[in-house]
Amino acid sequence: MTMQLNPYVYAEAIQAQLASIVDVPVYANFNRNYATESQFLTWQLRNVHQPVYTGQTQSNKGIDTPTFQISVFSQSMGNAFNLSNDILQSLHGYSGEFGDQFFVAKADVFWLYNTYDNELGLNQIILDCTLYVPA
Amino acid sequence: MALIDKVLPGYVATLWMQDDATPTPLTDTQLGTWTAQVTTIVGTSAGGTGASGMQVPVEAIPAFGSDDAVAAYGIAGQRTGAKITTQNQPTSMTITSAWNSADAAMLQIREDGYSGSVIRTYVVAVYDGTDTVAYAFNARVGGLQWDMSPAAEGKFMFTLHPVGGSSYGWSTNA
Repeated sequence: MTMQLNPYVYAEAIQAQLASIVDVPVYANFNRNYATESQFLTWQLRNVHQPVYTGQTQSNKGIDTPTFQISVFSQSMGNAFNLSNDILQSLHGYSGEFGDQFFVAKADVFWLYNTYDNELGLNQIILDCTLYVPA
Repeated sequence: MALIDKVLPGYVATLWMQDDATPTPLTDTQLGTWTAQVTTIVGTSAGGTGASGMQVPVEAIPAFGSDDAVAAYGIAGQRTGAKITTQNQPTSMTITSAWNSADAAMLQIREDGYSGSVIRTYVVAVYDGTDTVAYAFNARVGGLQWDMSPAAEGKFMFTLHPVGGSSYGWSTNA
């Protein structure tokens, strides 16, 4: 038997947790106005999902495993890598209170790739972080 | 406090062992007693106090409990037979760890395995960030194996053979 946490709580927790790891601005979603800043990161939540078991009883579900993508932006490639490393070191394998909101059994960070946006002049590094949330 | 009331993923389970080279295993009663007994083996990261225990860095906790042992009877003239449970022994746990030759717990298990006679208390602790449920048992170590397959990190595998009888117990901080 388990319950679905409100994704709004996930959003609050992700914002709080990321802001506690890095010293640069943290935003949900990208906004062109941010592109004037030398470095910042954005996040987007997806894949909020609990496996559903045998029916009839709605609470007969597994644990939730939401994923959020973290996009690290920096005018300096070195800073982008170091910022991403801070997130990797802090989050990967983390178990405990997440964003002072709920307990995560583990956080699993997957470094996807780095890229460069010539128009904005920003290096980007994309990471995925999956949370395993027993509730 | 109530027992943990939620579905927990397997990887919140951790394995702990007494850290003495020549341990005094818990008594049958103590194995089912959290306060001042099991809690001292479970580390703080899993809700215990951990003064006399250390964590065994396993890849996963295998299934544990008791073996299924039955006597099956077929009775002439009946459509179905019957299964009658017999006295089941606690299940042996075959455990895989990523081999770290400097890890204190692995070295101690290696020593115990060479000895073959050391009886030590092990604890499987399941922790939800607030409360802990623990399954403690006394066991010897057997079946030491190292697998240095080049396809993955080196593995250290061993089997914990419970001493049987009533030397296991459940406890909780609740």
